[in-house]
Amino acid sequence: MPWISEEKLNRLQEKFSFIKILDNPQAPVIEVPKENLIDFLKFLKEDPDYQFKMFIDWTVIDHGKKADPRFQGVLILMSPKSWERVIIKVWATDERLPSLITLWKGAKWAEREAWDMFGIKFDGHDNLVRMFLWETYPYHPLRKDFPVRGYEEVELPSLNETERFDQLEGTMNYSRKHTALPTLEDLEITQKARMPNKKSQMVLNWGPLHPGTHGTIWFLFDMEGEYIKDCDIIIGQLHRGVEKLAENLNVQQIIPYTDRMDYIAAINENHSVCIAAEKLLGIHEKIPEKAKYIRTMMAELSRINSHLLWLGTYALDLGALTMFLYTFREREKLMDIFEGITGARFTINYFRVGGVYADLPYGALDAIEHFIKDLPQRINEYETLLTRNRIWLKRNVDVCIIPEKDVYQYGLTGAVARASGVPYDLRKIDKYDAYGEVEFDIPVGEKGDSYDRYLVRMEEMRQSIRIVEQCIAKLRKFSKNDPFFYEPEDRRMKITIDGRGTKLKKGEVYAGADNPRGELGVYIYMPKDGIKPYRFRLRSGAFYNLQVFTKAIIGRPLADAITLLSTIDPVVGETDR
Amino acid sequence: MGIKKVGLNRNIKPQSLAEKVFFLDFMKGLKTTIKHLFRKVITVDFPYEVVEPAPRFRGVHGLRNVDGTEKNDFNAWVKKLKIKPPEKGETRCIACKFCQAACPVPEIFVIKAEKLDVPKDHPHHGLKVLTQFDMDLGKCMFCGLCTLACPTICIIHTDIYDISTYTRRGWILNKEQLSQIADDFIARRGKEKYDEKSEWPDYQKIWNDADTARAKAWDNNPPQFGPNYADQN
Ligand code: SF4
Ligand code: SF4
Repeated sequence: MPWISEEKLNRLQEKFSFIKILDNPQAPVIEVPKENLIDFLKFLKEDPDYQFKMFIDWTVIDHGKKADPRFQGVLILMSPKSWERVIIKVWATDERLPSLITLWKGAKWAEREAWDMFGIKFDGHDNLVRMFLWETYPYHPLRKDFPVRGYEEVELPSLNETERFDQLEGTMNYSRKHTALPTLEDLEITQKARMPNKKSQMVLNWGPLHPGTHGTIWFLFDMEGEYIKDCDIIIGQLHRGVEKLAENLNVQQIIPYTDRMDYIAAINENHSVCIAAEKLLGIHEKIPEKAKYIRTMMAELSRINSHLLWLGTYALDLGALTMFLYTFREREKLMDIFEGITGARFTINYFRVGGVYADLPYGALDAIEHFIKDLPQRINEYETLLTRNRIWLKRNVDVCIIPEKDVYQYGLTGAVARASGVPYDLRKIDKYDAYGEVEFDIPVGEKGDSYDRYLVRMEEMRQSIRIVEQCIAKLRKFSKNDPFFYEPEDRRMKITIDGRGTKLKKGEVYAGADNPRGELGVYIYMPKDGIKPYRFRLRSGAFYNLQVFTKAIIGRPLADAITLLSTIDPVVGETDR
Repeated sequence: MGIKKVGLNRNIKPQSLAEKVFFLDFMKGLKTTIKHLFRKVITVDFPYEVVEPAPRFRGVHGLRNVDGTEKNDFNAWVKKLKIKPPEKGETRCIACKFCQAACPVPEIFVIKAEKLDVPKDHPHHGLKVLTQFDMDLGKCMFCGLCTLACPTICIIHTDIYDISTYTRRGWILNKEQLSQIADDFIARRGKEKYDEKSEWPDYQKIWNDADTARAKAWDNNPPQFGPNYADQN
């Protein structure tokens, strides 16, 4: 596990007497007083020995109404020098925390989210508005005293539509009341608050329902002629409160909800939750080998699936319709494979904390092999159509460059980080599941322009094929009776395939998987053993990657917005959660 | 760490002068698309042609009836929950509510069992029968956790995916409807999915390889199935 080493921790303790190193078996946690936070972080970020300069996540825990202080900030940092992580906690006295935007620009959205969800004020933030909900929404929903169902206060009788006087009497009836909904005025206030100092006469609105935005993202562009001078993004139209829901479910029941986050790569989302929960329980190394290889293989197939969709829609947005039809043909086969193995084409829910829910059906490996054999040639075809086509080059080369330092500043992950020259890949760093035992390369770009992001993803597909081939070869050697689900030796531990009674352990952990859209990290905080996670934070890669859009687009013509959005490739289910 | 560098001038050559002047990049692209022009059609002509879902497909739920393929511990479960021993053709459900407990959205289910109103000397005195089993599929996300929890393999997923109705009322299925759905499904595809003890057998195929519509979507070149593991046949 790549966590900050003991020796480095001790040196920190010697240097800063005010920090407290908490006793947590899963990961090292440092508690820092609020007054000293900025100085301490500056040291961590800039000291040549430490260099924890990569921003990963910045969120809040609510300890309940009775606790004093009630809220606690949690910061997760990564050191690109040694690929080590650290968790830093700080108490938010008076419901206030210092803002980190002077140190990491990526903290801007993280703090807005914390304000939106918990009502924590950040001193020094330049425009602390809500992230997902509209500006006039009165509550902070992730607070522990906010009910899961929300406050039902608006009447919506259409919920109970009936046919021919057929009354929906009895238990299955829907309540006529609905939780608050934004009106047009609310949206107008929200839009104004997001861009308080616009310069031009008119702000160009792109979205929320525009085919080019690949979902419900609402862009605001402050234009000067063709060129974009300022930009902000309103997301949240797909916000369903997965983190809140997760606090009321057992961990196996959370997995189907993550299917609905990044619905294009549902398997990878499931994977993150499984890894985090397994690391919290300390059983990740003990998962049966067969399950590890099945999971690795499925995760890579899912990556190919996701990249195929990305390639098709990306080319479609830039005007190459044929590509879309070709990639969807291959994707259809992958969907068939998923359907046969897992039971669903899209919302897969196949992985479990402890393995997978069923063994491979008859013929599964043959179907995958058949598909994989064909694919490299297909990818070559795609490349002939695009890679050296002059229109493609004109629209992509040197468009919207994301420099390496922005990767650290904004906490970019996935293909976006790798295209900017940072070989950040959790599959190599954490070596979860069977990734430590298979061979593959990390494609790394040079400039960080849209073309590099395209090339990196194309190469990733080829590397995924390599991994899948190795997994198949390995899986063939297993016996049909080998277990695919972990049976705990410890009698106090209970893990079930259907989730009933699955218990989590006391402690806190941050773990994740490298998903097609960046790192989906899961931070679980458990003050005591229990079934339901106390705090279940989902660190969305797509969310942080989308944030860099607001910077990389500045000074570019409007047409590049499509290219940039497609190469960042966010999916709204995951950015909004 | 294995790192592969990509980029223009790194693994991709920039366009040469000849390519620029003679539009070779377009020619190459056109060659690919023209090749595809002469391939067989792969579009499945829905709804005239329908791909049969895989055996594991998680569609609309059904409640299985007793048909002689119960698991070995079925009678023990019936006894434990004080349910009237079901005859052939009666539901397997023992009202244990495990499905509801495993479900992330428990309000989907309304399950009730009532004591039989029989005289004291009747052999079924004090035993219960299932009287109500309603499911509101409008709230279901077809995650499959309920089917994994069921100890008697009573609640199952069928291959029905078309559940559109005009009102929300249409998504609420009762015991009889659910039993009917399961019976139809078992008659149609039970052998493919379950063995004689209602477990998933290891000969359960990834999908039915005789399905011509699916073969079409696979470029008319579908995979041949064989065993996965060394000791499987
Ligand atoms: S499929 Fe999932 S959501 Fe639907 S009833 Fe079963 S457990 Fe509940
Ligand atoms: S788990 Fe099975 S037997 Fe138990 S109540 Fe549900 S359907 Fe009936």
